[in-house]
Amino acid sequence: MSTPSRPNTGSVLIIDLTREKVVKRKVLSETVKRYLGGRGFNSKALFDMIPGRIDPLSPENVLALGNGTFAGTALPMTSRLHISTLSPLSGILGDGNAGGEFSAMLKFAGYEQVIVTGRAEKPKYVFIEDDEVEIRDAEELWGLTTGETVDWLRDEHGDEVSVAGIGPAGENLVRFATTMVDKYHSGARGSGAVWGSKNLKAIAVIGTKGVEPADPERFYGLAKEDIDYFNRNEFVRRIYSVIGTHYGLIQWYPSWRYFQVPLSAEELPIGLRPQDLAEYEVGRTQCFSCPLACKDVYYLPSTGEYGTASEFESIYALGSNNCVTDTEAVLRMEHMADEYGMDVMTLGDTIALARLLHEKGILSRGDVKGVSLEWGDAEEQIELIEMTAYRKGFWDKLAEGYRNFAKLYGEDALAYCYDVKGVNRGWYEVDFINGVFTLSHATSTRGADHLRGRSWAYWENDKLIDIEVVRGMLEAGLPDYRKDPVGALIYGERACTLADSLGRCKGSINSWLQAVPLVWKYPVFKGTAMLLTAFTGIEFTEKDVIDATDRIYLTEMAFNVRQGIKKKHYDVKFPPEFAATERAKAQLKRHWELVDEYLERRGCDVETAYPRRETLEGLDIGYVADQIGGKEFPEWDGPVRGVA
Amino acid sequence: MTSLSRITILTKPEVQTSVQVYCLQCRDAACERVCPVDAISRDRNGAYVINYDRCIGCRECAYACPFGAISFEVEARPIKCDLCDGEPECVAVCPHDAIVYMEEKKAARELKKAKAAGVAYGLYGGKETPEYSRKKAEEAVEYLMELVEKSGELDV
Ligand code: SF4
Ligand code: SF4
Repeated sequence: MSTPSRPNTGSVLIIDLTREKVVKRKVLSETVKRYLGGRGFNSKALFDMIPGRIDPLSPENVLALGNGTFAGTALPMTSRLHISTLSPLSGILGDGNAGGEFSAMLKFAGYEQVIVTGRAEKPKYVFIEDDEVEIRDAEELWGLTTGETVDWLRDEHGDEVSVAGIGPAGENLVRFATTMVDKYHSGARGSGAVWGSKNLKAIAVIGTKGVEPADPERFYGLAKEDIDYFNRNEFVRRIYSVIGTHYGLIQWYPSWRYFQVPLSAEELPIGLRPQDLAEYEVGRTQCFSCPLACKDVYYLPSTGEYGTASEFESIYALGSNNCVTDTEAVLRMEHMADEYGMDVMTLGDTIALARLLHEKGILSRGDVKGVSLEWGDAEEQIELIEMTAYRKGFWDKLAEGYRNFAKLYGEDALAYCYDVKGVNRGWYEVDFINGVFTLSHATSTRGADHLRGRSWAYWENDKLIDIEVVRGMLEAGLPDYRKDPVGALIYGERACTLADSLGRCKGSINSWLQAVPLVWKYPVFKGTAMLLTAFTGIEFTEKDVIDATDRIYLTEMAFNVRQGIKKKHYDVKFPPEFAATERAKAQLKRHWELVDEYLERRGCDVETAYPRRETLEGLDIGYVADQIGGKEFPEWDGPVRGVA
Repeated sequence: MTSLSRITILTKPEVQTSVQVYCLQCRDAACERVCPVDAISRDRNGAYVINYDRCIGCRECAYACPFGAISFEVEARPIKCDLCDGEPECVAVCPHDAIVYMEEKKAARELKKAKAAGVAYGLYGGKETPEYSRKKAEEAVEYLMELVEKSGELDV
């Protein structure tokens, strides 16, 4: 028998835009125990509500916003919003995680999740103020940038309002348009186009209710320990809070000229070094409840605008990968992407791909009338970004996004498309970091990705932040990637699933310390279990936590199976020149061995890559097996268009 | 013990920057002067405190304060910073040492030093100094390189 949940857990808000109907549903404590919140709730909702292959831009698609179990509490860095949908970029699960205040506000208004279905006839926005939910006209808002939208809604509803919504790119169905939260925080993989297809411009929320842990003393006691840890940490004070994710420019080898050269700290061009970017910084900011403040606030003298969060990803994708090294130009492009509401990584990588295809003669002059596509032409790139957001001329094709764009030019173009399941992430040798790097791109349930388990599997950043923590985790049984890369990756994937479900930031520099609360004291998931018990009043053991993450991950895999994902889609791409070498062939062999081992240990069929019935039943989700067992699904080849 | 917050955070949304509003414990305080029943007085730490036994809830002090530091919003009585009896809680919890509590003369000296060092006062202080931000970032990078060198320890 299920019991209604405690007051620490709000309800689910279901909005049907076709019928303009709003329904509220209580969240059962059993659901919290099994799916935690945030990404867990979202992935389950998508699996249950999208039965098969549909056009992601059709009214049948579902947009789920989940705020995470601990949103709005004093536990640090726990107010990230998880946004999930069937992605118009990839045609599989597409989810993203955005910061800001929305997630906390939604919790204060009394909700765990908002689910949007259908399509409004005319542009609409949703206004939520605690129990009141209204679907309102947004004709005046349509066409506005994300910044203007937020300003408009603040004028209308007051400064406290927090906003998730889209800019012109989402309205124009750019396939990598994002959901933007409070102007500057972006959740990727084309979710913006789904809002656009539903004629939904924004959701504005004001919440005034508190969040009450079941055992406040215990919960706040543990939360305070975690805050104190970060406040004392040298790395946080001297690096994180000063240069934020620009840390990656020094540590992560940003790529030059469409993934041709990974740049070391010494090779970093002048203009793109952290100190160059810092000259534009006029302040720092953060998400709700975060003591770290990884985000810079920058000022652009040439346009008089302020922007926020010029992250590593935007600097490499829009900058070095396109050979653009003019600091202000890169910041301006980043800001434009925020204002139009586009994912900087897919945007930058797709432009770089277009430059390469042009150089190779695969894109002919005629295709790109009036554009030079010279490497490093910053001014032209600024224009291209605008044209892409409005799908003007040739750039209509670029707006299709990475793999869909390459597909328009046939096999020759696809050969240079380094994607997994339709999502771009560059190329890497399998030998690199004992196979973990490439394997993690292949196994990610939303396509090639660095935030699904990769850095966590080999302590990429934790060893700098606090080496003792890594030692502690190894002692507590975390597999060592040098001996057991697959085991390490599965643990990494669990950590990320957990963070996304709790609403915790995975750390904009990707670290266990941030992703898993209290891991520095109670490795690996023990601290989380203690916090969950204190907060929800439901008894959680470490095993319950692990099972919940596996339940979520396998549900996501099953979702993708129904979208036509087969074993062959776990491949990784190399540039054609390298792919032809013996070295590459040996590496691919090793990759497939790792994939087999991964599938086996995840409890999936090694031939088909489908999750096995026993595994699903063992996690008490036999109903998922009923949905995929003994069925044939047409093979995936990007997003479906029209009725499947 | 929980109590109502006496700090209001004002956000300037277009630049995602916030400032705290709290009582400045003015030398010649408007709130004290206007109070018709003399409910406001200075305590031994120099904080203006409200004697609720005398307060009649007229709101005069809130109207008089030029900084909006007295609020009536959450309770039907004036709420203001009382410096927590000499050990301010806000100072204790602020993770970035953005609030400090010190003797007046010392504070004036510190401020002078900071100005001389070219510390940016952010958007509200008026003058942004690119040199200062650059220097801070350079220090961060330098420290990071040191850490990278040392991290060979775990053989990873
Ligand atoms: S670390 Fe950065 S992204 Fe994460 S919660 Fe803090 S401010 Fe937001
Ligand atoms: S409340 Fe206002 S007038 Fe009174 S002491 Fe504080 S700042 Fe001065």
